[in-house]
Amino acid sequence: MREFLKRGKQLWKLLTEIIKIMGAEIKGIEYVLPANKVNNEDLAKKFPEYDFAKFEDKVGIKNRYWVDEGQTALDLAFDACQKLLNKYNKEDIDYLIYCTQSPEYFLPTTACILQDKLGLNKNIGSFDYNLGCSGYVYGVSLAKALIESGQCSNVLLVTSETYSKYIHPEDKSNLAIFGDGATATLISNSDTEKIGSFMFGTDGGGAEKLIIKNGAGKNKFNSCSPQLTYGSDNIYTDNHLYMNGPEIFNFTAENIPNFTDEVLKKNNILKEDPDFYVFHQANSFMLEFLRKRIKVDKEKFYINLEDSGNTVSNTIPIALKRLSGSFTDNSDKKVVIVGFGVGLSWAGGLITINKNI
Amino acid sequence: MEIEKFLKLLVEELELESPLTVTTNLKELEEWDSMVAMMLIGAVSNEFDMTLSAKDIEEITTVQSLINKIGVEKFS
Repeated sequence: MREFLKRGKQLWKLLTEIIKIMGAEIKGIEYVLPANKVNNEDLAKKFPEYDFAKFEDKVGIKNRYWVDEGQTALDLAFDACQKLLNKYNKEDIDYLIYCTQSPEYFLPTTACILQDKLGLNKNIGSFDYNLGCSGYVYGVSLAKALIESGQCSNVLLVTSETYSKYIHPEDKSNLAIFGDGATATLISNSDTEKIGSFMFGTDGGGAEKLIIKNGAGKNKFNSCSPQLTYGSDNIYTDNHLYMNGPEIFNFTAENIPNFTDEVLKKNNILKEDPDFYVFHQANSFMLEFLRKRIKVDKEKFYINLEDSGNTVSNTIPIALKRLSGSFTDNSDKKVVIVGFGVGLSWAGGLITINKNI
Repeated sequence: MEIEKFLKLLVEELELESPLTVTTNLKELEEWDSMVAMMLIGAVSNEFDMTLSAKDIEEITTVQSLINKIGVEKFS
């Protein structure tokens, strides 16, 4: 009996050791942008009264890419996944998570169609989730949880958006800010832990600050929906995307600096410890405001939305991929990622990336 | 903060073409748009550690009304 208990104790110790070293890592990230590139000169031709030079200087966007009429977020997602799976074995993927607010249909979940198009195994988990600018951070956190609870080993995390389809053709502010795009990230089990802890925030009280009211469950798409205006003579209807820019800026300015401090605390690190901070690339004025508030050095705080604009849940993985291209050595870099926006929803966490993602 | 200094700060932060007085209606400025509103929220937040809400922005007309929102006691 005593021998049996001793054996049991040894086995338990071994098991806890194994669990301790079981971790997750981001192995690869790829992204695609649609072919149709729209620069500020193109927009200035359509809206000659608007100061696009100032827009470029303040908001930091030169080009955005929009899908063509027949092209969907699923098409972009497929291309991003193919790009990633050129480097990895698609047979190994055992879970597919798809973040989008531009689903192919009301049902089925787009991830099922993507599984089939990509020719992934049939014995895998697949689902969509509806989040915007906080979506990628949620996805990484979910993938880590699925892997570390032993439910799967290789998660394909996909983000894809085509907000351009939702914006009224006379809504110059949103047309100038938002771009389409898709990303694919492979997150796999690892013998060392390379993904840290995450924190979240939700305030549905701000749902109407960034919303498309018509076309889903509550209000039917209404072809007679009256024209409305907001801000500097931007036109929209309730069938289109509406964003209250100053309100969203307020929410971010009030919440994200403290939230970032909490994310650092949760990961037991100091402000100077991360190699980089990659926040949702919403607009460069806002990012610069946040950087000063959080008191992070310019060199560590990544701002790059000149070529692609605000691509919603895609901005963080696109920024991570672009950032990794600037690494001169193979060492791991600690990066704090924070996403915030539509919902209102926000999320932040600590990850590790290197030159080879 | 001195009102004169605040007026200069606004011209600089909002990148305005011409100088302001307390009676200038911000909404009637040629430059006024949602981007300038965002820059105003940023400037006030940096200087006075308070965030103007979208309702505040909506209600603001003259520079004096902005000063009232921020709090007259903060000016000399």
